Amino acid sequence: MNHDPFSWGRPSDETYGAYNTQIAQAPSFPKMNTQQPIVTGTSVISMKYDNGVIIAADNLGSYGLLLRFTDVERLIPVGQNTVVGISGDISDMQHLEQLLDELETENQYDNSSADGAEALKPSYVFEYLATVMYNRRSKMNPLWNALIVAGLEDGKPFLRYVNLLGVTYSSPTLATGFGAHLALPLLRRVVDTEADVGKTTLETAEKTMLESMKVLYYRDARSSRKFSLAIIDNDQGLVIKKGLKVEGMAWEFAKNIRGYGTQKV
Amino acid sequence: MNTIASEYSSEKQSTPIEHSFNPYSDNGGTILGIAGEDFAVLAGDTRHTTDYSINSRYEPKVFDCGDGIVMSANGFAADGEALLKRFKNSMKWYHFDNNDKKLSMNAAARNIQHLLYGKRFFPYYVHTIIAGLDEDGKGSVFSFDPVGSYEREQCRAGGAAASLIMPFLDNQVNFKNQYVPGTDGKEKRPVKFLTVDEVIKLVRDAFTSATERHIHVGDGLEILIVTKDGVRKEYYPLKRD
Amino acid sequence: MAGLSFDNFQRNQFLASKSQGQPKATSTGTTIVGLKFDGGVLIAADTRSTQGPIVADKNCAKLHRIAPRIWCAGAGTAADTEAVTQLIGSNIELHSLSTGRQPRVVTTLQMLKQHLFKYQGHLGAYLIVAGVDPTGAHLMSVQAHGSTDVGFYLSLGSGSLAAMAVLESQWREGLSREEAIELAADAIEAGIWNDLGSGSNVDVCVMEVGKDAAYMRNYRTPNVREPKQQSYKFARGTTAVLKESIINVCDVEEQEVDVSA
Repeated sequence: MNHDPFSWGRPSDETYGAYNTQIAQAPSFPKMNTQQPIVTGTSVISMKYDNGVIIAADNLGSYGLLLRFTDVERLIPVGQNTVVGISGDISDMQHLEQLLDELETENQYDNSSADGAEALKPSYVFEYLATVMYNRRSKMNPLWNALIVAGLEDGKPFLRYVNLLGVTYSSPTLATGFGAHLALPLLRRVVDTEADVGKTTLETAEKTMLESMKVLYYRDARSSRKFSLAIIDNDQGLVIKKGLKVEGMAWEFAKNIRGYGTQKV
Repeated sequence: MNTIASEYSSEKQSTPIEHSFNPYSDNGGTILGIAGEDFAVLAGDTRHTTDYSINSRYEPKVFDCGDGIVMSANGFAADGEALLKRFKNSMKWYHFDNNDKKLSMNAAARNIQHLLYGKRFFPYYVHTIIAGLDEDGKGSVFSFDPVGSYEREQCRAGGAAASLIMPFLDNQVNFKNQYVPGTDGKEKRPVKFLTVDEVIKLVRDAFTSATERHIHVGDGLEILIVTKDGVRKEYYPLKRD
Repeated sequence: MAGLSFDNFQRNQFLASKSQGQPKATSTGTTIVGLKFDGGVLIAADTRSTQGPIVADKNCAKLHRIAPRIWCAGAGTAADTEAVTQLIGSNIELHSLSTGRQPRVVTTLQMLKQHLFKYQGHLGAYLIVAGVDPTGAHLMSVQAHGSTDVGFYLSLGSGSLAAMAVLESQWREGLSREEAIELAADAIEAGIWNDLGSGSNVDVCVMEVGKDAAYMRNYRTPNVREPKQQSYKFARGTTAVLKESIINVCDVEEQEVDVSA
């Protein structure tokens, strides 16, 4: 008796010989579409404030240890009041961009009312992306990304995360990858609860985001100095600032560090 | 220095380096359902985690599905949400097909078994609990394993801190290991139905204690209470460290 | 023959694969920091110790004294940080007695790294070493494999990224003692709130040039538990007494003694 549960209910090899996988063109091993990320983008960070949301990501496309592409745009506007920030595999990101483009086009065709009453809202865009991500993981062929959908919906800030597993969650501050470890603690010092959102101005929020991008550039080896930052504001609408640079770094003290222990010169 | 020759020396590490995609993750959190005489509660913490990170301090995982049924699927959050969505959808079709007939707890439980067992070989990685009132108006709690085995129970804890909370429940809800004083262990302490207030006290103490000792539990406690008057929500903050 | 013996390596690998694996040590999934300020140096730590996802100790002490004015914050395997710290502490004292000089931070660091290097990373000790000696205030770190680092501000442990984020954005040259204490405590708090391996309270130890070290156990306690909703005291007799036996460990004899004499 073969006690391995794998062979339960199967014709026994002793009686029938080894199972012929050629029957029904069955492969000897399940089909694997599993890949690995090749060109990658690092963290996306975001936060809510009293009148909207801010989201930022740098412009680097890393090829392993190589800083391969230096002007990759990872903040994608969708419709009038949504921005999707994407980290992870860049080719999968570009596939998602295409899907979002098609989604927007279809929405334009279907949209019968001129006042945009049926226009895409952030929650629609999110639901679509989350479904795509979960379905792809369930086919064991994931899109290797973590995304943040940021936007304004009925005047209120919208922020939600989804990743390659289809895991989703919301919070007044969100970050992917390294940003979850380095930037979130700083963002949460300003906006810790939903109640803090109403007490935080655009000025404070933007300052906090720039500070977080600086810390990420200091400490994340796969980050770049150049980044983009998008603001979706009730008054200003959707504004994407591109080609920003990390400013105000402190390196003065570094020259006073000598060696790694006993060295004095 | 020498290596002792043994039968192990011929053992070789022959497992190839695996680099396969793991479709599951653990999003922490814990849930707890208790049935009373004419009510039932289902509680869950609101912390959402992966590894050592807190993804969200408020991500509800206990939901009112309608027909006085509350549900939570705790474990891998993406599967939990997918299962919940499928159950809500199934409920909608039940109403369409049966002239808006109310879905009973028994029927809901059997339906969830089928949803879970349908993915027997690629399971929903969740511990599921539903709570509500049965057809006699008595409180009822059903709990499921990831592939659909289920049972009606008086109380059940699920998720990360289930093993911390369950023994406490056995002792405080079903009075296990308690005897009537003066009977020398001859007479067990008789079980009785607890009131809503007593149950909420137990739930709050269970969650504050689990928060103290389990790193994946904390931030907030949301309790859904089902009575003949409908579903009510209560929220209590938990420690955030 | 001197050196380490790897005789049992293969056997241990085999046993580990056959059984539930090797015994797990209590790890201090931790946040620790150290930073320099005008006239001294300080270290700080959280107080949570864990075994997997379970909190083993809610208020453990991760700040260890190596010499009266040289202290050390430890992350990694609790037993290793404790043992290595005590061993080097003893040797430092003997060395100080033998030379008739005050112990130095560089000596401590050199002894720690040589000890840890010898064990090739098998001692899971990750330490931030700080102190004041006749040559001034010093701040350094040692990793389990024996590599060392010096800096004006350092963080280690599972919460090191959260703490470092705070340090990177707030640290500057010329901090006062009080500013430095608050910054260190804030950095530890970032670990406490954002890293699940860290929690409970903040311990601080300040070392100023020419002064005794000031060890401030539980400098901040932002995680006091709220009172429980009810008492769980059982009525006497709830637990059955099945058998009773009194064991006389020794014979008791009473004897009258005249005290007035």
